[in-house]
Amino acid sequence: MASNELAVSATGLIKRFGDRKVVDGVDISVPKGMIYGVLGPNGAGKTTTLRMLLGIIEPDDGERMLLGCNHPRDASDRVGYLPEERGLYPAMKAREAIAFLGALRGLDLRTGRKRAVGLLERVGLGYAVDMKIRKLSKGMAQLVQLLGSIVHQPELLVLDEPFSGLDPVNQERLEGLILAERDRGATILFSTHVMAHAERLCDRLAIIAGGKRRFEGTVDDARAMLPMRAHYMPRRDASDIAALLPEDAVRGPDGWRFAQPEEGTEALLARLLDAGHGISALSIERPGLHEAFVRIVGQVAQEHAPGEKTR
Amino acid sequence: MTRLRRIVRQTLTIARRDFTATVFAPTFLLFLFAPLITLSFGAIGGVGASVASSSTDKSRIIAIVAPADAPGFARADDELRDIFRDGEQPPELRIDRPKADPARQAHATFAAKDVDARAALYGSLERPTILYDGTGTRSADYLAAVAERTLRDRAGSETSLSVPVKRSVQRTTGISSGGKHQAAFFGVFGIFLLTIILAGQTVGTMAEERSNKVIEVLAAAVPLESVFLGKLLGMLGMAIVFVVFWGTLVSNVGVLLPAEVGRALHEIGPAVGFPTYAVLFFVYFTMAYMLLGAVFLGVGAQASTMREIQMLSLPITIVEVAMFGLSSIGASSPDSWVATFAEIFPFSSPFAMAARAANSPEIWPHAAAIAWQLLWVTIVIFISARAFRRGVLQSGNARWFSRRKDVTQTD
Repeated sequence: MASNELAVSATGLIKRFGDRKVVDGVDISVPKGMIYGVLGPNGAGKTTTLRMLLGIIEPDDGERMLLGCNHPRDASDRVGYLPEERGLYPAMKAREAIAFLGALRGLDLRTGRKRAVGLLERVGLGYAVDMKIRKLSKGMAQLVQLLGSIVHQPELLVLDEPFSGLDPVNQERLEGLILAERDRGATILFSTHVMAHAERLCDRLAIIAGGKRRFEGTVDDARAMLPMRAHYMPRRDASDIAALLPEDAVRGPDGWRFAQPEEGTEALLARLLDAGHGISALSIERPGLHEAFVRIVGQVAQEHAPGEKTR
Repeated sequence: MTRLRRIVRQTLTIARRDFTATVFAPTFLLFLFAPLITLSFGAIGGVGASVASSSTDKSRIIAIVAPADAPGFARADDELRDIFRDGEQPPELRIDRPKADPARQAHATFAAKDVDARAALYGSLERPTILYDGTGTRSADYLAAVAERTLRDRAGSETSLSVPVKRSVQRTTGISSGGKHQAAFFGVFGIFLLTIILAGQTVGTMAEERSNKVIEVLAAAVPLESVFLGKLLGMLGMAIVFVVFWGTLVSNVGVLLPAEVGRALHEIGPAVGFPTYAVLFFVYFTMAYMLLGAVFLGVGAQASTMREIQMLSLPITIVEVAMFGLSSIGASSPDSWVATFAEIFPFSSPFAMAARAANSPEIWPHAAAIAWQLLWVTIVIFISARAFRRGVLQSGNARWFSRRKDVTQTD
């Protein structure tokens, strides 16, 4: 993909904190206009990667480009950022806080204040325009900060764990805001370890674990890494049925579950029918992102089992 | 938008936020009027101490003279006492009538419990004997002078041996050499006082950002150098409000001063003239504030708790006092190597150059000094931001080294 079609590109990003290599050669390419997720378990290096991309910290090695600029600072006014650790001045009013965050990114205060009112009303916080941040609940303050990161209508919006600490209603509001930003033409890059959000929102995603990128592609690509799963419920259950099923078959309260055999399900079904077990229910399901994530991250965990150093 | 314009805009955005957050907070009024509260307590304490002092001061000089000499002696004491300023006058005079043994009577006054005799005179006024204790030498001299005056008054009656004609003159040079030194000291002290009150405030300003986690948002949007400079300018704005408020108040107090004080102050003045000195004083206060404030801000930014910040207040005060001491020595001896060192050493330079403006009329050294001090403000902010980036944000500078390496390789 041509570099001018990428909102973010990074190759071989490395970051060490002391002797510990927190990010170890991560590559990321985020096409413009997409919602891109960076997934990974706690401590995977997601936040450090985002901070390097934004220029908050300098990488020890590697190259990065943000909205066509070699140094992230040069694109500062076209970027919005919601950090993992939320931070606002408690004595500021909601409208002023949003306008201030916009002003840091080049929006004049008067326009910022005007837009802040509209944005607050859009997320149902119109009544909180003149409320001080210290009077708002944690979730409300988090929404205010998110509004502060989009008030200047950035081309790229970077959100670090945006859903953490939000109740389901506010999570839905936030999803709506993210989709609206994408529809406006912005590129969204967000990190999360909650698969449901990634599955619903991401056009593409990267999975980072142990400081390295382990996967890059669409949600479907990730799910396709695992074989299809079969869920079979026999009409007549008997003790000899296990011998006919694949080795990984596991019996649950609602039937048997196993990976679809490589030769397909037809031969298996024929054997089961011949043996007289019949079919009460049968479904072939594609595994979810959650399963793909667990498998990828689980492999990394095994690689980094005790006795093996990450340095 | 150019990078420089963006940096200026971001710096001013942060400065504006800090200024309004500080000045429009109710606690700022308390801060603004704190000196008034201190002065009020000081005044009340001073009056109390004065009253207590006058009521408890039992020092006396004793004159054991014949009743015939007593009125003349008392009159001579009144006349001579007028020469002394308040606070410098000899102890109060008590005239005793002589008893059978005046010598014993005089000695007995030093053992009396109701007064503390400093000196006692007895015998004839022509040949008086004066006793005095360890602290009464000057009191003894004074009693001798009163006796002399009494006799002269008695002998010459109406005619004085010397009849002076007193005329007030205006000094042609306007300001005396001592007046310049005094102006230099006042300048150094004024900047020191304002700096010690105001610059220490910067030490905790980054703590707010760190505790609120706002620093992450700022660091993502704005170069840390701009964050530091913006915070420094915001606090400087607050300091200027303080200085203007108190400056206006103090300058108007001059109208209320007695005429003699005004005349005495007329002799004190800077060599560069008052208008230029006022400008230089303001500039050097700004520079002292920026320099020391930047150091304190940088050091304070490394602290992660309020306890650590409080611990820093002592070394900060020591640094400020050291700079004041260095510059004061320079102010009192303008041509010494200490003065030159204080003028060159960046952190004492604003104080010492303010003293120089009072002692010496040349202007060009001030332009050079201001440029030198500005350079050091930049250096300190740069170092502070770098230390913060490394120590707090844990962002190394390997890229800087690799760039240098690349350049070397290209070459």
